[in-house]
Amino acid sequence: METTTPTRATTGEFKPGAGFGTLFKLLRRVRSWAGNAFLAAYAVATLYPLIWLFISSFKSNQDFFGKPFALPSTWQFENYAKAWKVAGIGTALGNSVIVTFLSLALTLLAGTLAAYILSRLSFRLKGLVMALFVLGMLIPIHSTLVPLFIMMKKIGILDTYAALILPYTAFELPVAIFVVAAYLTSVPKEVEEAAMIDGNGYWGIFFRVIFPLSVPAMATVAILAFLRFWNDFAFALVFINKQALKTLPLSLAVFSDGFGTDYSLTMAAMSIAVIPTVVIYLVFQEQIMKGMVAGAVKG
Amino acid sequence: MAAASRLRSFILVGLLPALLLYLIFVLVPIVWSAFYGFYEWKGIGAAKFLGLANYTEALRDPIFWKALKNNLIIVAASIFGQIPIALVLSLVLWKSSWFHRFVRSAVFMPMVLASVVIGIMWGYIYHPQIGIVNYVLDKAGLHSWIRDWLGDPKINMYAVCAPIIWANIGPYMILFIAAIQNISSEVEDAAKIDGAIGYKRLYLIVVPMIWDTIKVAIVLCISGSLKAFDLIYVMTGGGPAQSTELLATYMYNNTFNIFRYGYGSAVSTLIIVISMSLVLGSQLLMKRK
Repeated sequence: METTTPTRATTGEFKPGAGFGTLFKLLRRVRSWAGNAFLAAYAVATLYPLIWLFISSFKSNQDFFGKPFALPSTWQFENYAKAWKVAGIGTALGNSVIVTFLSLALTLLAGTLAAYILSRLSFRLKGLVMALFVLGMLIPIHSTLVPLFIMMKKIGILDTYAALILPYTAFELPVAIFVVAAYLTSVPKEVEEAAMIDGNGYWGIFFRVIFPLSVPAMATVAILAFLRFWNDFAFALVFINKQALKTLPLSLAVFSDGFGTDYSLTMAAMSIAVIPTVVIYLVFQEQIMKGMVAGAVKG
Repeated sequence: MAAASRLRSFILVGLLPALLLYLIFVLVPIVWSAFYGFYEWKGIGAAKFLGLANYTEALRDPIFWKALKNNLIIVAASIFGQIPIALVLSLVLWKSSWFHRFVRSAVFMPMVLASVVIGIMWGYIYHPQIGIVNYVLDKAGLHSWIRDWLGDPKINMYAVCAPIIWANIGPYMILFIAAIQNISSEVEDAAKIDGAIGYKRLYLIVVPMIWDTIKVAIVLCISGSLKAFDLIYVMTGGGPAQSTELLATYMYNNTFNIFRYGYGSAVSTLIIVISMSLVLGSQLLMKRK
C-alpha cells in the first residue's frame, strides 16, 4: 500500500542501470495502480452501508430480503410517503428542525457574547470562568442524564422543547466560546475603538461590530453544532416521551428491534433523517473534518 | 465612574446567559448526581437516605464489572482497530488529488451520520435471517460461519466493535495526516538516503516522529469509548442477558427501566470517576514514556 507514496518513486532513481529504467517504471505503475484500486475498493466498502441504505429505501420488502445487493426491481417512491405519514417521520422532522435551529440560535448568541467578553475585556474571576468552561469539556455527557432528568422533572420541563434546547446549548457552549474567542484574538483592537468613537456603547460594539465580524467562526461552530443537535439520541431518549415531540433519531429508534417491522419503510425513514447531514457534509467537508478533529483534540 | 459601571454591567449581563445555562445544565447535575447517589428514590414520594449503600451495591454487582470490561473491549478495539487503519490510510492518502480527497471524504463520512441510523443499519447487516453478512457467507458456502452476530454472547461484543471502528477512523486519519505533514523534509530526506522506505519508513521514521500524536489518539480512543451508548442501545440494548451492557447502558437500564433514580445517580457518579481516572491515568502514563 505504501507504493503510492512518492518515496518509492524517488528511490527508483538510485537504481543503477539505464536498461532497467523502463522496467522499473512499468513495475511502479502497476504497483501504483494496484494501490489505487485497493484504495478505491476501500472507499466503496466504507460508503457501502450508506449506498445500501439509499438503494434499499426504494425497494419492496421482497427485494430487500431476496436480493440485498441488487437494484430495486421496481422503484417504490411510496416508501417515503408512507414513512412520512404512517411512521410520523414528518412530525419528527419538524421537531428536529425546531429543536436544532432554536438551540443553534441560542448557542451562537450566548456563546459569541461570552466569547467576546472573555477574549476582549478584563475583569476579576475571568480565569475562574474560563476554567469552568474548560472543565465542562471533560464531562462525559451520559453521566448527566440521570441528574438532569431528576432536575427537569422537578422544575417541570420534561417533555417540552426546552428539555432538549437548554441542555444542547449548555453542552455546546464551551466549544462555541473557545472557537469564537480564538477567532476574535485576530481582530485588531482599533476596530472596537473606532466603534466607540462613533458613539457606540458596549452593546452597540457587540451587535454592530463584533457579532458580524464573528460570522466565519460562528459558521464553523454552527456546522458542527448542527450535526450534534440533529443526530443526538441520548438526551431525546431520556427527556422526551410524548409522541408529538419526538425528534428524528428518537422516532427511528422504534424500528431498532429489527423484527416484524416494515424494512423498506424503515430504510426510507432513515434516509430522510440522513439526507440533511449528508448534504451538509458534501458542502462543508473541509470545515467539518478540521472542526471535528480540533474539537476532539481540545476536548 | 459611569464608564466603569457600564462596563461591569455589560460583563455581568453578557456572561449571564451562557454561565447560567452552563452551570445549571452541565456542572450542577454532576454535583447533584453524587448527592442523589446517597438516596433511594422511585421518582415519586420522599427520598430515603441510604448512605453509601448504592455505591457499594454497584461495586458488588458483577454486571457492573462486566459493563466496565465491555467498555474496555471497545477501548481496545478502538486502539488496535482505528489507530492502525487510520495510520496506514494517512500514509497513503496525503495527496490533494481528487482521488485522494474522495477516499478521505468516504472514510470520514460515517462521522456525520446519526448513531441511531448507524446502529439500525448495522443491526440489519448483522441480522440472523435477512442480514447481508450471513447472506454473503451463505453464498460463499461458508455455512459454518453463519451465526446470530448480535445474539451470541460469545461474539456479540466483538461484532458491535466493527461499526464503532468503521464510524470513527476518519478523525484519526486526518489527525495523522496533519502530523505526518509536520515531519520536516530534512528528516525524510536523510531517512530516504539511509534507505528507510516502505515499512521501514513507517516504523523508523513516521511512528517515532508522530508518537505524540499517537498518544493523543490513544487518549481520544479511551474517552470516545464512553460515547458508544447510542449504538449499543439501538443494536442490542445491552442484551441479550446483559452480555453487551456498557456502563452507560447499565446506568440507563437501572434508572429508567426499573425507576431506581438514586442507584442510577450513584452509577453516573462512578462513570465520571472512572472516565476521569482513565483519561488522566492514560495521560500520565503517556507522559512518563
